[in-house]
Amino acid sequence: MTMTAAQEVPYEESSAGESPWRGVLRRLVRKRLAMISLAVILLIYAGGIFAPLLAPYGYNTQDLDHGLEGPSAEHWLGTDRLGRDMLSRTLYSARTTVVVTTAVVLSGSLLIGNGLGLLAGYKGGWVDAIIMRVGDVFSSLPALVMLILINATLGPRVEDFARWVEDLTGIDGIVSSGFHSYLLVFGALSLFFWVGAARVIRAQVLQLRESDFILAAESLGASSGRVIRSHLLPNVSFLIILSVSATLGGIAGSEIVLTWFGVGVQNAPSFGAMIFDGSGARTFQSHPHLLLVPGAVVTALLFAFNLFGDALNDAVRGR
Amino acid sequence: MSQNRLLAILLSVLAVLVLVVGGLSAVLLLSGGGDDGGDASASSGGGGTTTESGGGGGSDVAAAASGRIRLASSDPITLDPHLAGDATSAEYIVEIFGGLMTLDKDLNVIPDIADSVEISDDGLVYTFTINPDAAFHDGRAVTAEDVAYSLKRAASRELSSPTALAYLGDIVGVREYFFGLADDVPGIQVVDDRTIQLTIDSPKPYFLAKLTYPTAFVVDREQVESNRNWTRRPNGTGPYKLTEWRLGERIVLEANENYHLGAPALKEAVYLLAGGSALTRWENDELDVAPISVNDVERARDPGSDLGPFYSTWPQFSISYLAFNLEQPPFDDVHVRRAMGMAIDRERIANVTFSGMFQNATGILMPGMPGYVPEDLSLPFDPEAARAELAQSKYADDMPVIQITEVGAGAEASIDMQAFIEQWREHLGLTVEVRQTDFASFLSAQDRRELQAFSAGWIMDYPDPEDILDIKFHSESSLNDTGYSNPEVDSLLEQARVEQNPDRRLGLYQDVERLLLDEASWLPLYFGVNHVVVKDNVKGWFEPPMVIPRLRYVTVER
Amino acid sequence: MGAYVIRRLAWLPFVLLIVSFITFALARFGPGDPVAIAAGQIRDPEVLAQVREQRGLDGSIIEQYGRWLRDAVQGDFGESFIQQGYSVSELIFPRMWVSAQLGFLALVIIFVVGIPLGLLSAKLAGTWADPAIIGSLLFLQAIPVLVLIPPLLWLFALQFNLLPVGGWDGLFDIWWIAGVIAIPIPDPHLYLPLTAFTLPGFVGVARLVRISALEVNTLDYVRTARAKGLSETAVQWRHVFPNSLLPLITVFGLALSGIIEGALFVETLLGIPGIGRFLFEAVTSRDYDVIMATTVIFATAFILANLVAELMYGLVDPRVRLGASRN
Repeated sequence: MTMTAAQEVPYEESSAGESPWRGVLRRLVRKRLAMISLAVILLIYAGGIFAPLLAPYGYNTQDLDHGLEGPSAEHWLGTDRLGRDMLSRTLYSARTTVVVTTAVVLSGSLLIGNGLGLLAGYKGGWVDAIIMRVGDVFSSLPALVMLILINATLGPRVEDFARWVEDLTGIDGIVSSGFHSYLLVFGALSLFFWVGAARVIRAQVLQLRESDFILAAESLGASSGRVIRSHLLPNVSFLIILSVSATLGGIAGSEIVLTWFGVGVQNAPSFGAMIFDGSGARTFQSHPHLLLVPGAVVTALLFAFNLFGDALNDAVRGR
Repeated sequence: MSQNRLLAILLSVLAVLVLVVGGLSAVLLLSGGGDDGGDASASSGGGGTTTESGGGGGSDVAAAASGRIRLASSDPITLDPHLAGDATSAEYIVEIFGGLMTLDKDLNVIPDIADSVEISDDGLVYTFTINPDAAFHDGRAVTAEDVAYSLKRAASRELSSPTALAYLGDIVGVREYFFGLADDVPGIQVVDDRTIQLTIDSPKPYFLAKLTYPTAFVVDREQVESNRNWTRRPNGTGPYKLTEWRLGERIVLEANENYHLGAPALKEAVYLLAGGSALTRWENDELDVAPISVNDVERARDPGSDLGPFYSTWPQFSISYLAFNLEQPPFDDVHVRRAMGMAIDRERIANVTFSGMFQNATGILMPGMPGYVPEDLSLPFDPEAARAELAQSKYADDMPVIQITEVGAGAEASIDMQAFIEQWREHLGLTVEVRQTDFASFLSAQDRRELQAFSAGWIMDYPDPEDILDIKFHSESSLNDTGYSNPEVDSLLEQARVEQNPDRRLGLYQDVERLLLDEASWLPLYFGVNHVVVKDNVKGWFEPPMVIPRLRYVTVER
Repeated sequence: MGAYVIRRLAWLPFVLLIVSFITFALARFGPGDPVAIAAGQIRDPEVLAQVREQRGLDGSIIEQYGRWLRDAVQGDFGESFIQQGYSVSELIFPRMWVSAQLGFLALVIIFVVGIPLGLLSAKLAGTWADPAIIGSLLFLQAIPVLVLIPPLLWLFALQFNLLPVGGWDGLFDIWWIAGVIAIPIPDPHLYLPLTAFTLPGFVGVARLVRISALEVNTLDYVRTARAKGLSETAVQWRHVFPNSLLPLITVFGLALSGIIEGALFVETLLGIPGIGRFLFEAVTSRDYDVIMATTVIFATAFILANLVAELMYGLVDPRVRLGASRN
C-alpha cells in the first residue's frame, strides 16, 4: 500500500519527431522481463475473468469425504477442509482480484490524489495550503484503524444502500459479490492514501511551472484550466501512469491485509481468505498446499506487478 | 563539500531517529511506572539490558520448583470480582477470592466463607454463619460486616456493575439500591459479627448457586477504600494469593497456607500471558498444560503419537447455536426454522470441520447438567422432511433474503457455516448470505435484536437450567435474543422458578427444552469440549465444565 | 526557515484537534461499545444504560468529546475498559516501547543492508548481477508477510527447534563468561519478527540508492573528479556514495509507516506485546480511551517525523525551498 517515491528525474524530454508516448512504448516492448511480467498479469486476470468457464468445479462445491487432500488427478491442486477444489477456488479468487482492482479505479482514489496534487502545485497560495494541510490530517491518521471503524459504522448502511440499488435497478448480485463493500473500503482507503500521490505530483508541478513554456503560455493569457490541461497534464502524465501501476499492484496485495482486518470482501472466495485459512505454522506443517497454492499465485502476481512497474519506470525515464 | 553533505545526511537521519525514539521514551519515563504494580514491563526493556532476575526467560521458567504449575492464559479484564463478567477474569478471581458459597469439584454448592446456612420454611430468608477460620490473605478474620459491605458494594450505583442485578437482584432491595432509588439494602442484615441474613423476593432454589459467582465475593473494605489500584495485589480470602502480575507477561499465584477449607497442595501457579502457540511451548517444556487446537487434535488422538499419552478431553457447560430472530421474516414462520434445522448434517460437518473437537448438541442442556436427558432431542438430519417442511411455509414461493451474522475477522464465513450454507442450498435451494462483524458491533446488534439470524454461544454461569432456559427464552427476559415468546413455556418456567421439589423442577425444565427444540428458535450446534495435554508429573489435573476454584485439587511431582 | 518551522508547529495542535475529533466521532458513532464487551454474556439494557452513565458515556458526542479533551489537555488519557484498573498511559507506553525497539532495529537493518546492495548494484550496472540483485529483492517484497511467516515458523521453530515460536524477551540476553565478562547477544525472539519486517523493505532502499548512484555518476563534478585523476575508489567513496544517499531521506518516512503497518501482523502472528496488536484489539472492542490516545500519539509522531525529514531535505539540498510557492 505504499506509493513509490517517484520524484527524481521526471521523464525524458521528447525527442524531435516522436511523441513521448510512442517512445515509452517502444522502450517498454524491448524489455523482455517487462513483457513476461505483463503476460503473467494478463494470465492471472484472464483466469479470473473466465473462471466460470475454466474452473473444473464450483468454488463452493463440497465433497466432505475428500477434505484436505493433496494434488491428484481429480483435483490438480488438492482440496481444502470441506473438500472444495483448490484450483477452482484459486481461479474464482483471481476473479475477486479483478473486481477489487476495478472497484478501486471506480472509487476514484487515483484521480483524487493526482488531481489534487496537480491543483495544489499549480494554484499555489491558499489553495495549496488548504489541500496540503488537509492532507496532513488524513495522512497522520492510522489508516487501517480508521478503516476498521469506518467499515463497522458505515458497512451496514452501505449494504442497505446497495440492496436498495438492487431493488431499484433489478441488477442482482451487487451485495452477494461484495462489490459494495469493496467500494466502501477502497473509497475510505483513498481518503487516506491520496496524500502520497498528491505530494509527488505537486512537487513535480512546482518545478514545471517555473519552466519557460508555462510562463510563456500564461503571459499570453491562457486560462488556468487550459494551462493545466494542455501543458501541465501531458508533462506529469507519466508520473500518474507510474503511480497507477504501483497502486494496482499494491491493491492486489492489500486485499490480504484487509481480509486479516475483517474488512475484506464477503461471501466470495478470495486469496486473502484462502491464505487466512492456510496460515498458521501447524496447518502449514500438516497441509502445506492450503497456503502454498494461493501464496504462490499472489506472490507471482505481485512480483509481476513490481517488475512491470520497474520496467515502466525505466521506460518513462528514457532507459 | 560532499563530505559535509554526508555528515549532514547522517546527522539528519540520526536526528529523526532520536526524535522519534527519544520522544517516545521521554513520555514513557514521565508517565509510566508510577505504581508498584504496573511498572514491570516498562522497566524491563529499558536500555536493552535485561537483568538476570527480571528477565523471565527460558532458564528461569524451566527451573521449576516442585509444586509449581505453568499454564497458558491471558490478562484478565479485571480482578475486581464485582465487575468481572468474563470467563478469563473469573478463572483468576475464583482462586484469589471467595464468597459465602462455592462449588466443589463435582459442582455441588458448598459453604465457603459461610460455615452453615439455614433457610427459612418459606424459602425467603437465608441465615449464614461465618466460618471462624475464614480470613483474608493478610490474616484478618472475615466478619459478617465484610460480607455485607461487599454485597452492597457490588450492588451499588457508584460501582454500576453489569453483573450485579443478574446475581444479586433476587435480594430484597438490591434493585432499588442499584438504580439509586434507596440508600440501603433491607434484604442484607448483619445479625452479629458472625451471622448475616439475606432475604430474597421469592423462594428460588437456585439462589445459593448464584452466590458462587464472583459478584457475590468478599473484598477487603480497607484495601478497596485506601488503594485505588487494589486489584493489582488484591487481598482476598481464596485458596491462592496473587504475588506477581506483569501485564502481558505473567501472573503468579501462591498458595494461601491458611486457607480455611484446607491448605492447597500445589504451592505455585504461573500463568504465562504472552500468547503464541501454547502446544509448541508445552513441547519445549515451558508449560505443564496446553490446550489442543483443531490442527493438532488428530495427532493428539493417536495414542502412538508423542502427544497421545498426555491427551485428555473434558466436556464443558457451553453451547454454540444458530439463533433465528422470530420478529423478522422468514423466521417468524416455524416451518422455515425447522426446515433449515433438518437440512444440515451437523454431526458430520462438525466432524469434518473441527475434526470432531466438539460434541454434537443433542439438546440445549449439556451432559452433566441437572435436567440433562441422554436421548437426542434435536431435529434430525432429514432432507426429505426438511423439503416437506419448507413446502408448508408461507414463504415457500417468495423467500426473503436470509443473512446470518457472525463474529469474525476472516473474509469468508467460518468453515462450518460455509458447509451449512452449501447444504441449505443443496437440500432446500436456499441462498444464505453470511456477514461477519467485529465483536463490538455484533453485541450491539444482537442486544437490539437487529440481526435476522446469527451464530452465538452461551456458557453456564451456575449449574442450574434456569441459567439458560429461563434467561434466554422467557418472553420477558432481557437476554432473550430471539424474541421467542410462548405463553406455555413462560408458565412452565415460572413454575420451575419456585418449585421446591428438585425432581419435579427438573421435569418442568425438560418439558421446556422439548418445546423449545420443537419450535427451533435456536438450532443448537455443539457442546464445548476442552482438549488438553498435561505433563506426567501433574496429578489430579481436571478441566471443570465451568469456572470453579480448581488449583487446590492439583499436585505437581518432581 | 525559523518562521516556516514555527508556522508548521503552530499548525500541529489544529491537526491533532481534527484528528482526535474524527477518531472520537468514528469510534462512538458506530454500533457497539466497550461496556457491552466488558459486561460479558449477561447484558441487561437497563443495567448497561446506567453503567454507561456512570462511566461518562452518556450525552451527545460533542459533550463527550469536550470531556475527553478537557482531561487529555491535562495529561489524563483516561482508563482502559478492557484492562480495567490501568490507566491508558500505563498500558500503551510499555507496548509502544516494545514496538519502537523492534521498529528501530528493523529500520537500521533495512538501511544497513539496503544501501550497500544498492551501491553494489549500481557498480555492476550493465552486467547480469545488477538486475539479479534488484530482481531478487523485488521478489522478497512480493511475498506477503502472512505467506512468509508460517513456513519460517514451521522451519525454524517446529522443525529445527532453533527459535522460539513467538513472544518477547527484551533486546539482548547477557552471556556471562566466567561470571565476569558480559557479552550481550540478541535475544532469539528477535530473529523471526526482524526477518518479516526487513525482507520486504530492502528493495525500496536499494533501488533508490542504485538509481541515484547511477545519476550521480554522470554528473559534472564527478566527471571532473575523474578527470582530475582521482582514483575510482576515491570517486566512489567521496562523491558518488554521499550524494546517492540524499533521496533516502524521502523514503525514511515511508519505511517508518510501512513498519508501523507491518507491526500489526507480525506482532499478532508472533505473539509480541507491541502497540500494533494492542491497538487492533482496542479497536475491535471499542476501547475508546486507548484508541484515542494511541491515535493522537501516532499522529504527533508522524507529523513531527515528516517535518524533520522535510527540514533535513532542505538542509542538504539547497535547491529545495521550504514552503515553495510563487506568491
